[in-house]
Amino acid sequence: MAALSDLASVLRSKNAGALLCTLDLMFEDVATYERVRDSGVINPELIASLYHVSQNEVSIIPYDVAMAIKITVPRLVPSGSFGDTDVYGAQQHGPLLTIEIPD
Amino acid sequence: MSDSLSMMATTGLLGYGFGEEAFRCGLEMDLDFIAADAGSMDPGPHYLGEGVPFVSRKAIKRDIGLMLEGALEKGVPMLIGSAGGGGSAPQVALVREVVEEIAEERGYHFRMAVIHADQSKDYLHAKLKAGKIEPLGPIDDATPRTIEETHRVVAMMGVEPFQQALRDGAQVVLAGRATDASIYSAIPLMRGYDPGLVWHLSKIIECAGAVAVPKSGQDCMIGILKSDHFLVVPAHPDSRCTRMSVAAHTLYENPSPYHLEEPDGTVVTVDSTYEQADERTVKVSGSRFERSNRYTVKLEGVRQAGFRTIFMAGARDPGLIAIIDEYIDSCRGRVRQQVAALDIGEDHYKLNIRVYGKSGTMASREPVQDATPHEVGILAEVLADDEETSKAVMAMARLALLHSDFPGRKCISGNLAIPFSPSDVPVGQTYEFNLWHIMEIDDPLEPFPIEMVDV
Repeated sequence: MAALSDLASVLRSKNAGALLCTLDLMFEDVATYERVRDSGVINPELIASLYHVSQNEVSIIPYDVAMAIKITVPRLVPSGSFGDTDVYGAQQHGPLLTIEIPD
Repeated sequence: MSDSLSMMATTGLLGYGFGEEAFRCGLEMDLDFIAADAGSMDPGPHYLGEGVPFVSRKAIKRDIGLMLEGALEKGVPMLIGSAGGGGSAPQVALVREVVEEIAEERGYHFRMAVIHADQSKDYLHAKLKAGKIEPLGPIDDATPRTIEETHRVVAMMGVEPFQQALRDGAQVVLAGRATDASIYSAIPLMRGYDPGLVWHLSKIIECAGAVAVPKSGQDCMIGILKSDHFLVVPAHPDSRCTRMSVAAHTLYENPSPYHLEEPDGTVVTVDSTYEQADERTVKVSGSRFERSNRYTVKLEGVRQAGFRTIFMAGARDPGLIAIIDEYIDSCRGRVRQQVAALDIGEDHYKLNIRVYGKSGTMASREPVQDATPHEVGILAEVLADDEETSKAVMAMARLALLHSDFPGRKCISGNLAIPFSPSDVPVGQTYEFNLWHIMEIDDPLEPFPIEMVDV
């Protein structure tokens, strides 16, 4: 097992517009990328539970050409609305760091 | 169609700067036009609400001054999209003033188009009634009330207003809110280049130096279109693009790297191939454009959300930190009672108290529930319909947080370390996005009046 934070070379979050938060996992080599992609661990059920959203609100797209996995979830509230904690959405990746990926 | 068309993106955001050396190298590359995007909604609703840029006027003047000099020297068009950040009337007016000031100072003369993107309530009501407005993502349907409450709203133009402005003889186009890629796609599409390649290239270079390695963020980027592929290369000889940096760019700030929406269709990169053409240049081919059967523009609108007052302090008493959530709940109750005595009812304000060190960054999404930090930061905010109420509620919230009792309390002269005097900071009127929708239109020029100016 290894934590996603040790496997990914980039692990970032950012707004995709004012309503969505998009999270990118990027990897240095094909083997690591494919290990994570094919592990089945990064699935809508897990992401929905980590971000407290329903599974049908989660999008997960593997992007082979850049050895990346893109995850998109709704923001907690629209950017800058009352109760927002992160207008740019740049620090919402924390829950992904500790995901364990099997060998 | 000529064999090749070259463009330079000076910066990913007008006012964020670019290297002058890179810019001058780029100018020597036989360009067909230079351009910059000035817009972003990332900084949130405030800037559109107030109609102000999120970069300084000084920085805008520096960037646009160099671009004007280069464009006039080479005799090529210069395009700016989403002027002033949000591309609304006061923001466009500010950038226009800067352009006219530079022209006056340096004796420049040129024909300029100023394209407006603000939308009137009457127009939106008519569109809503015709069923032409729908949500873009997880937001409520727009209603007549949504439109009435809107303080300022812009629509994002596509390529057509830019193209009309150029046909009308503009050398400089200063556009209000526009899709980032339209700025770069307008001229190549007029000249007959493949729309899949054009839109994909535009999507990549609109962030300029973002695809350059090493990442300086200051690089100008060159895009070269051919009939069956395009090339991306940084203007500065010390920078390069890698296959990976270019391929990865469509991930950025988009929900999908494979499908990128534009007003009249979708850029599809599923079959795109990325090759390292030389050490500094990446070659892309295979991108497609799937035309939609309707033309839609995105609406971005804000409404006033109330006057905000904020207050920050630290807490370092372990007894308090151990029960901080319950403590804050009890303080909220105390605030409710005390402001009621001032005739301020619960429906007249909103109070939010965050605890940094526990869940300040992620709020209810914070997975770590058992943190026991040695200190925490408290950030309180109040929103109310007027500034006096906002300040009055905050004064009571500060009092409650500072002086309320809690079980086992020993720090009885005050619970908080307050770093500033004054402690409460009114930050004025605030805004929130209430329109984040798409609007179907028949004529891509209709919502975007073009004003021609001889500078």
